Amino acid sequence: MILGIETSCDETAAALVEDSTILSNVISSQIDLHASFGGVVPEVASRKHVEAIGYVIKEAFDSAHRKPSDVEGIAVSARYGLIGSLIVGVSAAKSLAYALKVPLVGTHHIEGHIFAPILSHPEMPLPHVCLTVSGGHTMLVYVKDLCQYEIMGNTLDDAAGEAFDKIAKFLNIGFPGGPAIDRLSLRGSRTAFDLPRPMVRNRSLDFSFSGLKTCVVNMFRGRQQDTLPLPDVAASFQEAIVEVLVSKALQAAERKGVAAISVTGGVSSNRRLRESFRETCGRLGLEVFFPLPELRTDNAAMVAAAGAARLERGEVSGLDLNAVPTAPLESAR
Amino acid sequence: MRILGFDTAAPTNTIGLVDDDRLLADYAWEARDNSLQRIVLNIDQVLKRGGVRLEDIDGLAVGIGPGSWTGAKVGVTVAKTLAYVAGKPICGATSLEALAHQSRNTSVQLCPLVDAGKENVYAAFYRSREKGLVRKGDFYVGDIKGLAAAVKEPTLFLGKPAHLNRQILSKELGSLASFGSPADSPSGCVFAWIALPRFRKGNTDDALSLAPLYLKESLAQALLLKRQQGAKS
Repeated sequence: MILGIETSCDETAAALVEDSTILSNVISSQIDLHASFGGVVPEVASRKHVEAIGYVIKEAFDSAHRKPSDVEGIAVSARYGLIGSLIVGVSAAKSLAYALKVPLVGTHHIEGHIFAPILSHPEMPLPHVCLTVSGGHTMLVYVKDLCQYEIMGNTLDDAAGEAFDKIAKFLNIGFPGGPAIDRLSLRGSRTAFDLPRPMVRNRSLDFSFSGLKTCVVNMFRGRQQDTLPLPDVAASFQEAIVEVLVSKALQAAERKGVAAISVTGGVSSNRRLRESFRETCGRLGLEVFFPLPELRTDNAAMVAAAGAARLERGEVSGLDLNAVPTAPLESAR
Repeated sequence: MRILGFDTAAPTNTIGLVDDDRLLADYAWEARDNSLQRIVLNIDQVLKRGGVRLEDIDGLAVGIGPGSWTGAKVGVTVAKTLAYVAGKPICGATSLEALAHQSRNTSVQLCPLVDAGKENVYAAFYRSREKGLVRKGDFYVGDIKGLAAAVKEPTLFLGKPAHLNRQILSKELGSLASFGSPADSPSGCVFAWIALPRFRKGNTDDALSLAPLYLKESLAQALLLKRQQGAKS
């Protein structure tokens, strides 16, 4: 039984996972707190983590009816995220590993997201291509085997979820932007506005969303919000992003000759993105896997799953484990 | 009573292990980039040198600030997690009380100072009483002149910022101001000793809700507050 801890951005999370079974998955979200700022404020986030971390860990044990002494290992998101936030989870994880005398492993935040669909669907084939896309990153990863990665594409500027947030802020329709745009787009036309599909014809598997964002801003700048056809703008903007994400993921799958794609991270909650992946993959005879709904945004069950795989490979971190805000996604040795 | 005390909110990170009045082991290291990452390892070292296992201590005392925000967060997080998982009582103590504690045998008013950045200080006034130190009024955050304006009686200023601002304080307050020794950064065992009477009385803190004492909002929070107040008026 592995305890996972995740505090890399604005969710304080702890979870217990035993042999691919999620025993508990506790998430304390700060989203309402940050909504008043229109985005995540690092100092506010890290203070909230300190307040929440103890309750969240206790709840992970209590809701699973398990005791801390049952834990066999501690996994924590230690790399990639806000430094002030990461350091809270890492400090708690080291204290737990020390007091319980169990091994500790620090994992990469994105590796956690890669494990979310694997934990959700243990039958998922390997190798596969993983599109992981959130407010903090947008990445195409070839998953050769558990903990064996090759990065095929990355965003050159904004993450896809970040583009959603910024456009939602511009349109003044709320934070976080993804769900707000998803909701509005249901009433709009995907073809109402002709927006660019950045880098879609490019051989590179990298992404760029800042030009698309600027295009939308320039198109509607200076107009009163109540004069904007908001559902049409939302649907057209969302369609541009979805089309780029789907097209690049399919290119990556084709290049590697894999039969399965996983789509993970907060943006995998987007209804249109999932619909489009299902349609296209179905047509091409590819399998597509999404995480369980509670494993799409940041959570600690995915961290526990990634940590369990690392611990099984004999990888253990020292009690001087450090939080590192930017770090490459590394394969197991 | 065996108490493990530590503080990572000050410019020097400190850990001390005491058994009632007796010091069993202590350790201090300069707070620099990545120095916080060693806190758990160093706690283990101090416990080993003191010959005490984590299971056998009677309580944890931790510095909650004011001081380094990140340092206080790490210290409080480590303390609350250890307290929860090892089932130990916990006491938080402020950096200002720890500074004042070292001069508690003085009859004059005590004013410990901690650097708050941007030429500001965190401060508070304490008076030594039979039952221990008693804080008078609220904590202070602001510049040194504002602090001097609040002083109306003989006061012993403590802490490094007191020495850096010695000239200003002496000029503003004349003979009312006196100064402690410059090297008065409190060690981990001071936090343990401050908490000792509270452990004896069972007057401890709740581990899960324990939070650092920041005394300042983040810049974004301060701006938001200003905006909201502006909208109201």
